[in-house]
Amino acid sequence: MTSKRNRLALATGALLCGATFAAAQNVTIVRELESNNYDPQKTSALAAAEVLYMLGDTLVAMEPDLKTLVPGLAESWDISQDGLTYTFTLRDDVSFCDGKPFTAADAAYSLNRLADPETQSPAGWRAGKVESITATDDTTLVYQLQEPYSELLFQLTQSFATIIDRDNVAALGDNFGVTGLNTTGPFCWGEWKPRDEMVLTRHEGYTWGPSVYENTGPAQVETITWEIVPEANTRVTALLTGQADLSRSIPYIAFERFRSIPEFQINKSDIAAWTEYFGMKMDRPLMQDIAVRKAMNLAFNQAAMVEDIYYDEVIPATTYMSTTTRDWNPDADPLVADYDVEAAKTMLDEAGWIAGDDGIREKDGMRLAPLFYAFTGSAPQARVEYLQAEMRKIGIDIQIDSFDPTIVWSKLATQEYDMYQMGFAYMSAGDGLNLYCRSENMPPPNRMNWDDAETDASLDAAMRATDDEMRALETGEVIMKVSEAAVWIPIYHEPISIVQSSRLKPVMPHSIQGTGFYKGLDIAVAE
Amino acid sequence: MSQVDLPVTAEPPQATGTAAWWRRLLRDPMAVLALLVLAGISLAALFAPWLAPYDPYLNSRAIMQPPAWSDMGTTEYLLGTDAQGRDVLSRVLYGTRLTLLIGLAGAGFGGGLGALLGLVAAFSPRLDGPIMRIADMMLSLPAILLGLAIVAAVGQSLGAIILALAIASIPDCARIARGVGTSIMRQEFIEAGQALGLRNRTIFVRYLLRNALSSLLVYISMRFGQVILIGAALSFLGLGVRPPISELGMMAAQGRDVFLFAPHISVIPSLTIFVIVLAANVTGDALRDVLDPRMRSR
Repeated sequence: MTSKRNRLALATGALLCGATFAAAQNVTIVRELESNNYDPQKTSALAAAEVLYMLGDTLVAMEPDLKTLVPGLAESWDISQDGLTYTFTLRDDVSFCDGKPFTAADAAYSLNRLADPETQSPAGWRAGKVESITATDDTTLVYQLQEPYSELLFQLTQSFATIIDRDNVAALGDNFGVTGLNTTGPFCWGEWKPRDEMVLTRHEGYTWGPSVYENTGPAQVETITWEIVPEANTRVTALLTGQADLSRSIPYIAFERFRSIPEFQINKSDIAAWTEYFGMKMDRPLMQDIAVRKAMNLAFNQAAMVEDIYYDEVIPATTYMSTTTRDWNPDADPLVADYDVEAAKTMLDEAGWIAGDDGIREKDGMRLAPLFYAFTGSAPQARVEYLQAEMRKIGIDIQIDSFDPTIVWSKLATQEYDMYQMGFAYMSAGDGLNLYCRSENMPPPNRMNWDDAETDASLDAAMRATDDEMRALETGEVIMKVSEAAVWIPIYHEPISIVQSSRLKPVMPHSIQGTGFYKGLDIAVAE
Repeated sequence: MSQVDLPVTAEPPQATGTAAWWRRLLRDPMAVLALLVLAGISLAALFAPWLAPYDPYLNSRAIMQPPAWSDMGTTEYLLGTDAQGRDVLSRVLYGTRLTLLIGLAGAGFGGGLGALLGLVAAFSPRLDGPIMRIADMMLSLPAILLGLAIVAAVGQSLGAIILALAIASIPDCARIARGVGTSIMRQEFIEAGQALGLRNRTIFVRYLLRNALSSLLVYISMRFGQVILIGAALSFLGLGVRPPISELGMMAAQGRDVFLFAPHISVIPSLTIFVIVLAANVTGDALRDVLDPRMRSR
């Protein structure tokens, strides 16, 4: 009888151990937003990028400092003297999730697809002015440019440049990146339930991870489930109750609580490569006056806002991009005005904006009440209401119109508003400036309508520069120009913060495209 | 035969005197309590500029202060502050003002127009079909969806939200009014009035409208609570008034993301909505009891 009981206990124990082991091999990440597809060349959504980095690989990989390039699928590369020809030597030991060997033809197909205008990729311009991209043999790719493009290698580290399987594209047609995606990354496409979850399974044969990680493969967990949890409170609860293991979308108000619980830890990136800002449309009647733009900058207290609303977890932005960014011009550091409400009032007085009976300023029959198009949602609303309250103190009455994410982008593509709010990830100063300051990018993403031939020329020159110094010099010119014109009110620079259960080993935050987990090769259960 | 205004010889039963139903209302302790609560809230909202301790739009560095009765609370901010450091008490006082206005305007305009259309349908068999089919179509459109469509068309404003709520109230009130009106139209005094050659307008106003009024008022008063709830839901979804104007539904939404850490930001405006709607519903029930002769006889 005793022996029977023992056997039963052993069997139960074995079952429980098995269950625990199985659970340990599955990691759940909770996040706020979902992408509408996972086609690397056809989406620029952050929500897509954070999954695509785990699913796929790029020719070149990036260290967390966003400055150091390391080999990815390309073992090495050679750049011609004139900066027009990049010759990549590719690995010969790589295979896709379905077992098909990876060759240079796949790389050529993927990058041509990115550059091809017919693809209508939102990131097509990031491929540079391409002459041709060809595979000369199975392991050699020649990337020929019409003019030098100093950012090319950096751009090739991004999710848009993920290498895909052309047979898979042909087989799935419009459902490519929706019902499946055959890739070479550390994880493979498992199952996608839109607005619910994306399950990734371990790519068992993966051994070619970048040197960014100690573990170059295979991944250390069997599955990763990305769960969509739109409500911030629910994401916090999911972590606290063990329903999820980690997240990079936890509200800062919860950080103190997580820090006080030994079962959790918060890992922050060393750099802050995401910036939030308020933008102003330069050619709108109210915003044309530089005194108004400068006064608004003077009256906005970034440090107080960061302390009160972000609990000092982000960095108050007194520059248009983080000063640690590649090619940043330190001469522009003092150009964003320090907080000084009285100076702001004086500036507006001197510019002829006189306060009316209700305290709101007017000039030439125009009331200083700029129309602000905002996103709904508590975080963006909190930011814009903070700005509104601060501006009321100097007699500016911001009118906020908020729109649901489904319509806000189309509203932001119009010219009918004065101010807006935006956040963006960047790898270099040129990355952000090319996106927002080129005249050809008006109205979106150049929503402030910054239309300046000298800026375009400098950005072109920076793009064509074949040495780092020249590129930084030309980029620096643009930084000075836009900072002096006070086209934005920078709000904060945000490092990546990962909140994780101590069931897992510490996960290194990676800021590429603002994603956080990069390839996920360090996600492992603690022993 | 021409129609003439003749002295009414077959008078319809007149509504009972105001004093009589008011006395009956005051005999119901729940009704009195609900009326007192409604009156108190309405007065507080009306005198918000004098009662509010702070400017409801003024932010401060006192972020998410808990209410005075909490451990960390202070009497400086009796109901605490929100995520922008604004005084919750001041915002609730101003917010209640707007919530009541939305309820009154939405239920009043929509209910009034709906009641009129319903009575016209009951009075005129020719218009009955078209009016009620339109009402049926409107009934199939959820109020929230209607609100979304109107805000998308005319932009986010107080007027848009009132318009959406008023339109949403029309079909319900039209249905009720038609039902009430149809049963009145079957009464003998209507026939008597017609036999006497009274003008249609006279029969409509003096016989139909007057006798339907009490039932319709009861329904509209109960609709008031529903309108407030729908209005709060629209504001909660971000379709209501523009910031920084405070409205109770919008205030509840603003506290949503910090609910685990500062629940008072959502709970206090939500409770205020709850109390207003409960008081309005209890008052509506009591009005029905005193105005409906069948309920009175029980």
